[in-house]
Amino acid sequence: MKIFRLTTNAFKGLGKNKMRSFLMMVGIIIGIATLIVILSVTQGANKKIMARINNFGPNAIMVHSGGGKMRGPSSVSEANLTQQDLHDISSIDGVKIVTPFQVKLNMPIKYQSQFTSATVMGVMPDWADAWKRGASKGNFVGTEDVELLKKVCVIGQTVKKELFADINPIGAKLLIGKVKFKVQGILQKRGASPGGSDFDNLIIIPFSTASRRLMNQPKYIAMMRVIVDDPSHLKVISRQIGQVLRHNHHLASQEEDDFRLTSSTQIIKMIKGVSNTLHIFLLLISGLSLIIGGIVIMNIMLISVSERKKEIGLRKAVGARSKEILLQFVLESLVVTLSGGILGFIVGILGVKIMELLTNTPAVVSWEAFVLAFGFSFIVGIVFGVQPARKAARLDPVEALR
Amino acid sequence: MNNIIQTKAITKIYSKDGNITVKALQDISLEIEKGEFVAIMGASGSGKSTLMNIIGCLNRPTGGEYFLEGENVNNLSDDDLARIRNSKIGFVFQQFHLLPRTDALENVELPLLYSDRSDISKLAQKALEIVGLADRIHHYPAELSGGQQQRVAIARALVNNPEIILADEPTGNLDSRAGLEVISVFQQLHAEGKTVILVTHAQEIAEHADRIIRIKDGKITGDERVRNPLNAREELQNIPEETEVTQ
Ligand SMILES: Nc1ncnc2c1ncn2[C@@H]1O[C@H](COP(=O)(O)OP(=O)(O)OP(=O)(O)O)[C@@H](O)[C@H]1O
Ligand SMILES: [Mg+2]
Repeated sequence: MKIFRLTTNAFKGLGKNKMRSFLMMVGIIIGIATLIVILSVTQGANKKIMARINNFGPNAIMVHSGGGKMRGPSSVSEANLTQQDLHDISSIDGVKIVTPFQVKLNMPIKYQSQFTSATVMGVMPDWADAWKRGASKGNFVGTEDVELLKKVCVIGQTVKKELFADINPIGAKLLIGKVKFKVQGILQKRGASPGGSDFDNLIIIPFSTASRRLMNQPKYIAMMRVIVDDPSHLKVISRQIGQVLRHNHHLASQEEDDFRLTSSTQIIKMIKGVSNTLHIFLLLISGLSLIIGGIVIMNIMLISVSERKKEIGLRKAVGARSKEILLQFVLESLVVTLSGGILGFIVGILGVKIMELLTNTPAVVSWEAFVLAFGFSFIVGIVFGVQPARKAARLDPVEALR
Repeated sequence: MNNIIQTKAITKIYSKDGNITVKALQDISLEIEKGEFVAIMGASGSGKSTLMNIIGCLNRPTGGEYFLEGENVNNLSDDDLARIRNSKIGFVFQQFHLLPRTDALENVELPLLYSDRSDISKLAQKALEIVGLADRIHHYPAELSGGQQQRVAIARALVNNPEIILADEPTGNLDSRAGLEVISVFQQLHAEGKTVILVTHAQEIAEHADRIIRIKDGKITGDERVRNPLNAREELQNIPEETEVTQ
């Protein structure tokens, strides 16, 4: 009952000096708003990372032609993997699938008077198992298509939208470069590729057709996708693949790899590396704002205690105990920080929504963020409110009333 | 023996920086009965406020003993003293000490915030009626005259229905008409059986009480009965209304 009265009193006090209350809240508002933005963006990014890892496949290893740093898919022009490599990798323990594929980026595609460009991949039938992605309509690339070097293709949703709009594309003939292909299926939708690009802007053709009829790479393989039996074996199998390839490519011990291996763990590292510095920066702003906000509150409260000496003396004269004065001033700080926290939460959510609109990155506002905002506001209120409150509680009423 | 207040050889010594000491009160022994209206008189610096604060349990004596309703207050903790101030004592100060930006009703409610009472605003309203301000409950101090502000302060002092009302120069900041109005409220409270102790250095104010205690340099120099106390309400009828100064 008493604490309820004291709390409503603290709220009334806040309303009596609106400008001062607002100034006290600014730091908290900024701090909490930044915190909410960071949390939401981080959680949004994590969701995106998880989605990408799922796209990539948690138990997959990608083998790229050409050494150096990790980047997008390797193109046929740099292909250096051999049939021998393929055979040797498939005989490693724990490897379930190895499927080779040719890749060429940005190939010009034409259908009647419509033009577009897309990534073209020449694949084996088991590409569908390795990616868990087949034809949603029509047929995927079959064994016969590969054996007979058929000029057939399966198109991704983006390609379909660009070239065919509402027309049924199956059976249509389109030009990839200068070669005519017949559309025999539509690829299941996938969204973002492991590298982050549009994985639906894709045309799938038989491996042999790609090697010999379109991309002029009859000897080497651009990429392979390896599926292992258990994600926990990724590291060991990756190392074995590396050894096999180095041996097959006759690399001396001081020579660098002429291939790249990617697995989900590396994908996580790559994506997180980009966002981490920004997050640390924002966290710093948030922390500093909260601390500065707390110090501002503490100082204004200390001034307020000096200004309100008479009030404190009077309250004691009419029967307030020291701990009731302490409680009153701590509550006043808490009311400021918690109100600031709630305003900060609202500002933060607005900021998140604006960022979502501007940068098109999804953010997740979770209840954990609310709890954290509330918790931090509470802690700042207590930590920085206690000293002024103790000063108030210790005042001698006779002195204070002079 | 019906002494509500009894002091035995009370002294109060202020020491500054350990060397300069002020003997604000020396060997004060006095007894005040329940229901008395006592005026304490003395020059500035004589120790009136110091005595008042000790009687009101706002301060502790350096020596001697103080019994309030027979209980030795020396042994009580600060929290106990706060409880006594809350339930048994009502203070009225020269500077009113009303909370600014807080209306009359809320000012009067203040002591009740620290009590266990729940019918707060009803009690506060009643107290404001007693001091004749029922029509001003939602006025802020800045919107009230000095006399009205002091009456709000008196309402605050009596809202908890205390035994003792302590007033330290309550008319010091008021003109004579407003001062008499305040004194008439004290006389009314006295008539209803409250113990009223009034500090003043004006003889014409002191003569409204039925006993005058004089102190000088921290010592009691006189203690006399007033044979025919003045009646503030009667005096007010002889002063024209328009002398009241509204702030
Ligand atoms: N906190 C203090 N520290 C030091 N000396 C004090 C303190 N309070 C009061 N005194 C001294 O004690 C003496 C009595 O003071 P007190 O305030 O009781 O006088 P008073 O009779 O109320 O005077 P006035 O009529 O001016 O209000 C004075 O000499 C004063 O200077
Ligand atoms: Mg005084």
